[in-house]
Amino acid sequence: MRIDTIIDRTYYWIDESARRTSLAMARKLSRRNFISKLGLFLTGAASFPLLPVARSFAQESVQEIGDPQSCDYWRYCAMSGTLCTCCGGTYTSCPPGSEASPITWVGTCTNPADGRSYLMSYNDCCGKAVCSRCGCHNTEGDKPVYFNSNSSTVLWCFGTENTSYHCTVSLVLGAADE
Amino acid sequence: MSLVFRTALILNFVTQFAVAQIVPEEISVETMPDRGPNWFIGKTGNGGYIFDATDGEMKGMLSLSRYTPAVTFSPPRQEFYAAESYLARGVYGERTDIVAIYDYENLSPIAEIEIPNYIARLQVRSHMGLLNNGRHLAVLNMNPGHSVSIVDVEDRVFAHEASTPGCAVIMPVAQNDFLQVCGDGTLQLIQLDLSGFEANRVRSDIFFSVMDDAIFDRVASSNTGWFLITHSGTIFHASTDDDQIIIEDGWNPRLEGEENWRPGGRNEIITAHHETGLIYVAMHEGPIDTHHEPGTEIWVLDSNSKRRIGKIALDTPANSILVTQEENPKLLVVDSEGGSHVYNAMTLSYERSIAIPGSTAFEDL
Repeated sequence: MRIDTIIDRTYYWIDESARRTSLAMARKLSRRNFISKLGLFLTGAASFPLLPVARSFAQESVQEIGDPQSCDYWRYCAMSGTLCTCCGGTYTSCPPGSEASPITWVGTCTNPADGRSYLMSYNDCCGKAVCSRCGCHNTEGDKPVYFNSNSSTVLWCFGTENTSYHCTVSLVLGAADE
Repeated sequence: MSLVFRTALILNFVTQFAVAQIVPEEISVETMPDRGPNWFIGKTGNGGYIFDATDGEMKGMLSLSRYTPAVTFSPPRQEFYAAESYLARGVYGERTDIVAIYDYENLSPIAEIEIPNYIARLQVRSHMGLLNNGRHLAVLNMNPGHSVSIVDVEDRVFAHEASTPGCAVIMPVAQNDFLQVCGDGTLQLIQLDLSGFEANRVRSDIFFSVMDDAIFDRVASSNTGWFLITHSGTIFHASTDDDQIIIEDGWNPRLEGEENWRPGGRNEIITAHHETGLIYVAMHEGPIDTHHEPGTEIWVLDSNSKRRIGKIALDTPANSILVTQEENPKLLVVDSEGGSHVYNAMTLSYERSIAIPGSTAFEDL
C-alpha cells in the first residue's frame, strides 16, 4: 500500500470520527448543557470588540514598504551587520541551520508606511560562518560598547550553543509611541 | 672524426662544466632584526603585519585569531601579548579564549594562558591593556555583562576576573591600575594588588551624558593619562593621583561655523603624541549619530593651548589612525577602502602607502 493512500485513509478516518461524534453529541446534549454553554460563550466572545490591552498585544501586522534586502529599509535604522534577508532568511527568521540569539540590542525606527515609531530588536543568527552578503551599518541612536544595550558594534551571539556570527534579523517588539 | 661530431663533444663537456659551477641553494628562515624607530603592527582579521613606516618594508607577521581585539608589545620582556578566541571547528564547537604570548625573535607562540570564554570579540585596541608594571594584562569581557580578566604574564597565570557592570574600555594608569568609561557618565578606577587581584575601586563624578553626547569607546593615551572624546568632539583628559580620578574641563576645537564637524570612523579615531601633546582626530561633516562615518579630514590639535593647529584633507576618508611615539613621528592612516598610508606627523605631509591586506587598525611597536 502506498504511503499517500495510508495518509488519505487516516485523514478520512479522522474526519469521519469527528463528524459522527459531533452528531451524537448534538442528539444527546440539551441546550442547557455545559458544553453547549461553553460553545455559545466562545462564539459570542468573538463578536465583542477586544479590550484596549488585548488589542495592543494583538497588534495588527506592521505595514511594510521598501526592499528588505536594502540597508535603507526602515527596520534597519540601527542595524549593524549582514542582512539575513540576503542569506536565506528573512527580516524575522534566521537562515537554515543557524541559531537565533535570544539576547539582542534594540533601537527605535520610524516606519514610513504609517509614520509610527517601533521598538526594534536586532537578533544575531549564530553558529555559521559570517554570510557577508548585504553588509549594513546604520548608527541611529547607537551608543558605545560600555552602553551595550544600544550598541550595534557588539557581536550578540550570547546564549547560543555556538558563538560565531552569521547574520542579523530585525523584529518589531511593539509600537514605541503607545 | 667529423666536424659536427667534434663540436657536439666539446659542447657536451662545456655544458657539464657550466652546470657543475652552480651551488644548490638551501632554504633558510629569517629571524627578526633589531627593532627600529617607527616600526608598527598593522592589525588585520588575519594577524599582525609588522612594518617599518620609514621605508614601508614588511618585517614579519604574527598569526592571531580573527577575534583578537588587540596585540601589544613588551620591550623589556621582548614579548607580544594578544587576547585570542578560538572555536574548535572554526565556526562551531568548543570555544577557548586565551592570552597568547609570542616571542620577538621568531614571532612564534611560546606560551598561552586560558582565560574565561567571555572576551569582547571586537577590534578595539582599548579592550586589552598591559598595565604599567608590565606584569598584569587586562582583557575586557562581555557576556553580555562586562568584566575584566587579569593575567599575570610573568608567571603565565590567570589571576582574577573583576566584574565591571556598565563599564568598558581599559586605560592603564599608575603602576597597577586602570580606568574605565561607564554608561552612567562616570569613570571607574580599579586598583590591583601585587597578585593582580582587585584591591580598590573608585568612581568619578558624572561628567558626561551617554544619551546627549556619549564619549567614544576609542581613547588615546597621553604622557600622564588619557584623552577622551565625545561624539560632538569635546575632549577631556583623565588621570589619577593614587585613588583620586582627575578629569580636566572639556574643550572643543571646532571654530564658529564648524558645528557640524564631528569625530568619526570605524576604528581608532583619536591618537596622541605623548612628548608634544599633539592630538590627531579623524573628523567629518555630518549630523548626530554619524560617529562611524570615516574622517574626511584629520585635525591636529595642541592639547597645551587647546587649539587646532593643522588639518590633513584626505582623498579617501580615514577609519583608523595612530601616531608613533618617536622623535620624528609618523601618522598612520587606514582609509575606508582598506588602504594604509604613512604621513609625517609633524609636517603633515604624505610619505607613502603600504599594502596591508584587510588592515583595520595599528599598534605602535
